[in-house]
Amino acid sequence: MNDLQDYGKSRSDLIDRDGTLAIVRAADGSDVVAADAERLDLFVLVDAAGSITAFHGHVDMGTGIRTALAQIVAEELDVAFSRVRMVLGDTSVTPDFGPTIASETIQVTSAPLRRAAAQARIYLVAMAAERLGVKAEDLVVHDGLVGFRAGDNRSISYGELLEGERIRLALADHVETKPVADYKIVGQSQPRVDLDAKASGGLVYVHDMRVPGMLHGRVVRPPYGGIDAGDFVGTSLISVDESSIAHVQGLVALVIEGDFIGIVAEREEQAEEAMRCLRAEWKPHPAMADLRDLEAALMANPSTSRLLLDKGDVDAALASARTRITRNYVWPYQLHGSIGPSAALAQFENGRVRVWSGTQNPVPMRADLALLLGIPESVVDVVRMEAAGCYGRNGADDVTADAALLSRAVGKPVRVQLTRDQEHVWEPKGAAQLMSVDGGIDEGGDVTAYDFSCRYPSNAAPSLALLLTGRVSNKAAVIQMGDRTAIGPYEYANHRVVCHDMAPIARAAWLRGVSAMPNTFAHESFIDEAAFVAGVDPVEYRLRYLKDPRASELVRQLAQRADWEPHTTPRMERDENGVLHGRGFAYALYVHSKFPGYGAAWSAWVADVAVDPSTGDVSVTKVTVGQDSGLMINPDGVKHQIHGNVIQSVSRVTREEVTFSEIGVTSRDWGGYPLLTMPEMPSIDVMMVPRPNEDPLGVGESASVPSAAAIANAIYDATGVRFRELPFTPDRILKGLREAGVATAPEPAPLAPPAARSRPKKPWLIPLAAAAFGAIGSLGVQTLPIRSAISPIARPDASLYSAQTIARGQALAKLGACFTCHTVDDGIPLAGGRAIETPFGNVFSTNITPDVATGIGGWSFEAFARAMREGVHQDGKHLYPAFPYTSFARTSDSDLHALYAFLMAQRAVAQANKGNELRFPFSMRPLMALWNTMFHKATTFAADPARSTLWNRGAYLVEGLGHCSACHSPRNALGAEETGQFHLAGGMVDGWAAPALNARSRAPIAWDEKAFYDYLRTGFSPAHGAAAGPMGPVVAELKDLPDDDIRAMAHYLASLNSQTVPSTDTAAAIAKFDAQAATRARMPASYAGARIFDGACAVCHEQGRGPMLFGVKPSLAVNTAVHADEADTLVRVILEGIRVPGLGELGVMPSFQHHLDDAQIAELATYIRARFAPDRAAWADLSGTIGKIRARPSLDSARARADH
Amino acid sequence: MQELVVNGVTRQTGLPGRTPLLAYLRNDLELNGPKYGCGLAECGSCTVLVDGVAARACVLTLADVQGRAIVTLEGLAPGSQMHPVQAAFIKEAGAQCGYCLNGMIMTAVALLNEKPEPDDAEIREALRYNLCRCGAHIEIFNSVKRAIADMRS
Repeated sequence: MNDLQDYGKSRSDLIDRDGTLAIVRAADGSDVVAADAERLDLFVLVDAAGSITAFHGHVDMGTGIRTALAQIVAEELDVAFSRVRMVLGDTSVTPDFGPTIASETIQVTSAPLRRAAAQARIYLVAMAAERLGVKAEDLVVHDGLVGFRAGDNRSISYGELLEGERIRLALADHVETKPVADYKIVGQSQPRVDLDAKASGGLVYVHDMRVPGMLHGRVVRPPYGGIDAGDFVGTSLISVDESSIAHVQGLVALVIEGDFIGIVAEREEQAEEAMRCLRAEWKPHPAMADLRDLEAALMANPSTSRLLLDKGDVDAALASARTRITRNYVWPYQLHGSIGPSAALAQFENGRVRVWSGTQNPVPMRADLALLLGIPESVVDVVRMEAAGCYGRNGADDVTADAALLSRAVGKPVRVQLTRDQEHVWEPKGAAQLMSVDGGIDEGGDVTAYDFSCRYPSNAAPSLALLLTGRVSNKAAVIQMGDRTAIGPYEYANHRVVCHDMAPIARAAWLRGVSAMPNTFAHESFIDEAAFVAGVDPVEYRLRYLKDPRASELVRQLAQRADWEPHTTPRMERDENGVLHGRGFAYALYVHSKFPGYGAAWSAWVADVAVDPSTGDVSVTKVTVGQDSGLMINPDGVKHQIHGNVIQSVSRVTREEVTFSEIGVTSRDWGGYPLLTMPEMPSIDVMMVPRPNEDPLGVGESASVPSAAAIANAIYDATGVRFRELPFTPDRILKGLREAGVATAPEPAPLAPPAARSRPKKPWLIPLAAAAFGAIGSLGVQTLPIRSAISPIARPDASLYSAQTIARGQALAKLGACFTCHTVDDGIPLAGGRAIETPFGNVFSTNITPDVATGIGGWSFEAFARAMREGVHQDGKHLYPAFPYTSFARTSDSDLHALYAFLMAQRAVAQANKGNELRFPFSMRPLMALWNTMFHKATTFAADPARSTLWNRGAYLVEGLGHCSACHSPRNALGAEETGQFHLAGGMVDGWAAPALNARSRAPIAWDEKAFYDYLRTGFSPAHGAAAGPMGPVVAELKDLPDDDIRAMAHYLASLNSQTVPSTDTAAAIAKFDAQAATRARMPASYAGARIFDGACAVCHEQGRGPMLFGVKPSLAVNTAVHADEADTLVRVILEGIRVPGLGELGVMPSFQHHLDDAQIAELATYIRARFAPDRAAWADLSGTIGKIRARPSLDSARARADH
Repeated sequence: MQELVVNGVTRQTGLPGRTPLLAYLRNDLELNGPKYGCGLAECGSCTVLVDGVAARACVLTLADVQGRAIVTLEGLAPGSQMHPVQAAFIKEAGAQCGYCLNGMIMTAVALLNEKPEPDDAEIREALRYNLCRCGAHIEIFNSVKRAIADMRS
């Protein structure tokens, strides 16, 4: 059950029962008593138990209106606050107040609720008066108990009055509400009613709604990411390859209609897997306008101009002005950025559909669903539950429609969850906006002309399902929403305001302070600039043109509160660290709703900033914010809203912008769209003007509106440079400061060209190799030696072997990675079938269970040993060196016996082997005989008497069964490992770079014995990083190897690096690298890369920052992959993540393949390389590397998902 | 067989090891505390404790936490009681929409388990990578301060 409002009731359930008093309204004004309950608007319900339920069609988006509305009802009814329960946004029971927008819940739509509550009280008091035989004026109510003002102890409660009654009253137009002086609940701070449940995991959010038999849905969105107008919208899907998801368990349905694709599965992770695996073919769509240059894009977008104000003669005043200030101001597309991607649940039952939704607009949502499903609105119920704060319209409506489509398709309740990338890409953005000002100043320093225009690419953003299924037109709709606060607050003699209405570019809808924030950015930046031109303090200058007395009073009070020091030039105060400090002022009355609209609360800011002229970093250190909200229902609630608006808008102004490619939105996670974090929050001093006798005003948005200009004006005060385009990111600021000669940092040196590699790893020279094989072939295949078969035997009786021998064999099998190669994902251990990629084609591992027919059950030890040492099958055929017999050959007889014993003791599994997929001539096995003559010596390991026992043991394990060189040595054109100085000098496997283990290692801290030990034992060395890719399963398998053997391997490997000096203090060495890397966090090689790193990577990789989290926190400053010659491993890790089954304690790294595009990964890799490996050359051709790796996911990315 | 302990109860999951921990907690155990936010360990909404350490459940699988003890928001205090950190967040209104609240509380609990008297900078740093869109940062910070004071007394 819902902790906040129990759903599933109809109006009739609530009011057609005894013991109730309902304040209702009939839409057509008819008699409410005779009316069908379902056709009434219900406002307030008092019942015989003395509890009060009040109904409001708006929803609480996290701003606390549930609490404030309940305060109003409790006040007017004279009951304790705790008796009142609010039901919000449930179309089955709540009245239609339109969408929850424009901060109007308290200011506008609370009025009928207040009247209804007052009317109920008056009626109940009258009832009591009648029962008690006195006049109503003699009575007074305390917490629902009606008693005498004085002299009589009798009393009667609301509940008692309603016993057996069933009363419906039509909401009166005029009701005498309480005088403010009598308020006891309104105007007092009231704790939020929803936090107990939210802090304890109660059922509050739509995300948590579940019903029996519920299935899970995901949608697959089209490739035109975040674009919702154009001929291609809804018409681009060519085909869907169902076989691409045939392997997914639990699939229930694939639903396709137009460009809508949905998947229903029994479990959520199954639906998710199918969503990611589904292959669909789409028509190419036209490139969108280049939104990397917003000013040009907005200027070029066709528009219709709408004159909003034309006072005086602007043109004449401009012509005669002494100084003209002509400016453009640019606002970026921004995200609502809900922390929870939208989710919804839909259920079809008995001819009705009920959706549980986080919509901002329950009633319009119901109409959308009726249209989508072709059913009457009367059979659709929209139950609004709380959702992640959105401050406008996010994906909640879209996902609700998605859920309805999927639920209807399967006839069962379906919950649909959007993914993070879908929410980012498809939520209707806060629109970009371009403001142009042409201002004229006369000799006296007065503004004589203000010619303002704005361009707002708006969008109605129809529900996606309606668009994608073709139910509604994909033609761009132009709506008039750029005009909010377009007429600024200042009384200029000649004043013209024009709004250019235009079609959308990217999908957009309203976001907090819609168009008013950008317009105010321009108004308040301009007047600040004009003040300095006039040589007047900017606060004083504002007051000159501000004729609204409440505005003037707010401005004066705030200036005083903030100790504003009048000044007429930018002060550019520099502290001892060279950081510049400044203050800026801005004011706004947020005028919203359909033009000309009306005002919400008045708000003004004094922003203090610190600007580092060497890096361009802007820090908002303090905001003193004043607000006149009229009567404040819940003062603490107002204060929290002001705090929230300040922090959110500082984030929007200083860092937020949606990025685009030619295809669409590229901000697909918090790396692509970082938010302000806790350590960056400014201190905030809130000044709330007490106005208890004025009407309450909306407070949900006002304090955001002055933000951008206040910060821009403060930056001007600090630096003397004006910035007119958001966000104020370090790169933009530094560029501006450089242009103005204020920056103290030199121009960056061009990036060093990539250094020639010491020895480029040879690509596989396939043509050459083919030629070589061809030459051999021409000698005549028949002349090559054919090895004889070794007679099959009956399967050996494993009971002949001791448990000890078998156990030793098991550890050796793990050392040899037998399981890793001879088992497919989710497959039977050792039964083979895994593809091993080689440059010559795929080789499939074989069944090595003791099955006689398909495995090695018929192999004698002699046959087994020959295979291990000479690479020859029991039947005499040559094996390919993907099976590393070249290393295994060194294994002792005794160990081979143990291994044999272990394998023969396993369960025999009949599973036929797959044929290899090698290209000619590599498919000719006999050629391997020659290869072996050239490259292989089948000799067992011989100890080096000059070395220690430990060293020899290590060498035996590393070079024998451990076959480290199979991956870590480069190979020649014929696929043989290179030797000598190139032995263990680094190789490639499964598309991963296996780093050099010898002196050619690029690791900044040399691999020493301890590092090798840590890495092989745990999968992680703090001085180098974590096992990734194919190395993960290797370490996991080594878990069974005794500690002494791991130490021996580490000892031997360390000896390969002759330069290795045992580290005396590795931790200190790491700390030194980390400290150096920390100093390079600013002035990054790529600002885009830096932003992605901060939002996506830093949580797990920024040393000395953030919380302690489960798993390791690898330092990139010492990481082997970051210092490698090639970017391959780093790119692969970013794309594929790291998950090593069996090494859970290391934690995991997620894959970013769906969240970062190639360009973003290139920026990120550039940043990481330059910051963490500054002495290495920048990687060349990153985009080529990334494209190559994305096109060829490694085997490991599939293997990592395997179930262990 | 995947086995783990969730809020003190040993569970044989009967599910593949690759099953996401968050899906198991939310869908199989019907726990509402841990929230899906990004699936990339970026935002912290999904935070649980694994062997007492804050962990981002959205990137972990059952195999990753095999045999370990998981505590969710629901398991911080027995029955209907509140952990002092939960109580402090309610008293200080440390949330607006509250979607990030689970992560804020769980991360704060982990911090105070490790260090009962962190200074202001340490509190801010510990919560750096827990994202809040509503801008409730001041109230969240005050909640942790109050929790420290309440737990001290």
